[in-house]
Amino acid sequence: MSTLTIVSITLPLFVGFSIYLFPRLDRYLALGVALVSAGYALQLFVAKSPLTLQLLDSFGVTLIADQLSGFFIFTNALVTTAVILYCWHTNKTAFFYTQMIILHGCVNAAFVCADFISLYVALEVIGIAAFLLIAYPRTNRSIWVALRYLLISNVAMLFYLMGAVLVYEANYSFAYEGLSNAPTEAVALIFMGLLSKGGIFVSGLWLPLTHSESETPVSALLSGVVVKAGVFPLMRFALMVPEVDPIVRLFGVGTALLGVGYAVFEKDTKRMLAFHTISQLGFVLAAPEVGGFYGLTHGLVKSALFLIAGTLPSRNFKELHHQPINTSIWIALVIASFSISGFPLLSGFGAKVLTMKNLLPWQVIGMNIAALGTAISFAKFIFLPHDSQGEGNVKPSFWLAMIILIGGLILANAVYYEAYTVKNIVKPLVTIALGWLAYFLIFKRLAIKLPRMLEQFDHLIGLMSLMLLLLFGMVFA
Amino acid sequence: MLEACIFATILCGFFGIILKKNLVMKIISMDVMSTGVIAYYVLIASRKGEALFTPIIPVENGIISHIENGAYSDPVPQAVILTAIVIGFSIQALMLVGVMKLARDYPTLESSEIEKHNTP
Repeated sequence: MSTLTIVSITLPLFVGFSIYLFPRLDRYLALGVALVSAGYALQLFVAKSPLTLQLLDSFGVTLIADQLSGFFIFTNALVTTAVILYCWHTNKTAFFYTQMIILHGCVNAAFVCADFISLYVALEVIGIAAFLLIAYPRTNRSIWVALRYLLISNVAMLFYLMGAVLVYEANYSFAYEGLSNAPTEAVALIFMGLLSKGGIFVSGLWLPLTHSESETPVSALLSGVVVKAGVFPLMRFALMVPEVDPIVRLFGVGTALLGVGYAVFEKDTKRMLAFHTISQLGFVLAAPEVGGFYGLTHGLVKSALFLIAGTLPSRNFKELHHQPINTSIWIALVIASFSISGFPLLSGFGAKVLTMKNLLPWQVIGMNIAALGTAISFAKFIFLPHDSQGEGNVKPSFWLAMIILIGGLILANAVYYEAYTVKNIVKPLVTIALGWLAYFLIFKRLAIKLPRMLEQFDHLIGLMSLMLLLLFGMVFA
Repeated sequence: MLEACIFATILCGFFGIILKKNLVMKIISMDVMSTGVIAYYVLIASRKGEALFTPIIPVENGIISHIENGAYSDPVPQAVILTAIVIGFSIQALMLVGVMKLARDYPTLESSEIEKHNTP
């Protein structure tokens, strides 16, 4: 089992570079790596006891592979497979697949590592690979968006590094467990780095522009799995160190509300999905012990939605209301939207019920409002006009990707089938009905454009210092 | 004292990233900040400046001479920060290539100008 872990972590990196040596085999190699990851994740589900590895003596790399990492690795594998299939007939070069597989490997590494330095290395390589993927079209805009992303994530990681050394100073070890007796400023600095990297709360406001301006497959990858690499360590900390658990939960609620608050007013499809990523990450953090399942369903549904949004004739909701879309695309869109709103029969329902059940009493109101906001904003997608000759430039491999993602959503119901009780089923239906009502009565007519000032580069960096102060306050309290 | 200098460096870099208008200057400020962080690792490794010797056991005439416990610096943070240095400079190289591409259309490289043209 330990050999298997090491092999499945290193394989993507080896194969990633060999794709460049065998450019003709690029897609097949990439697909193979994604399938190996999926197999490894399934293996983690079967193995009941978590595996802890300490490589290279006492100052070396620490790995923990348990079911929580299994959920996230499985998400990563499915999303990567779907994106590779989606790109199958586009003329992406071997370079694109190389970066994608390196990204895949590093995200997996972030999901199993259990010491601060391995996490740092994984997150930085994720930053570089994501930079190259975002800048792949080589237009001015893509380069600027990529530069902005890399600068922000690198500054955040510098704060994180300072926190990491303070943990070392207190424990003479970089392992996660050291966080419990580390000084408070270490916790604040590390959290600040991870919150920025994972797109949580106001330090995540870099995310909408980055995710909406990237190419369709790249947005699907970024929103589906890459942001989770920053969120996953926070969940691990919350589970390992009880003192930080309330902080993580509070950020979960705050993020969920902030994300939907922006999303309900958004008039652009991809930006709305990006804001929704922020809010759904809040759901993942709100109940860290069951966040794995929520992460899985969110990864599947969000990458499906981004891939669908890429085939729609326009990005503006107003224009989409005058241009009927193809019915088959509309059906896929509706299934995904229902899942994210928490409609029964799709795994989004099970994940929402499980998360709601594990909330603390003070979180319940906030999370219910966030769920209502989700239903409101996805009503925009569900009530788009459609007919059988409608527009939509569907690539041939698009449906294969959809089968994997939506099939995954339906099959994942099995994880938590106990959710199907009358009480649990009625609640999301009421939420969705209320959401649609609010959409038709209020939000459809509303034309408020929220200011985007906070998304400017200088403000984003400035917000980091404010976040740091806030975190200091929270940790001291 | 040393610690204060290091934090001043980090803050200088951080404010440089916010206040400098030119994109190249922003990247250099980021480098200043990362230099500060690296220096902080070195400082922690030397136990706040008290143990500056490298952890090499001195051998004189084939005899391992005794060194006082704690008189040498801790090698682990130094080894770890080496990774961060490498990652830091590769990221900078990558960013500068991006800036070179942008410089063709925005010769002044003012970030506010680039941002205005490239945000929808």
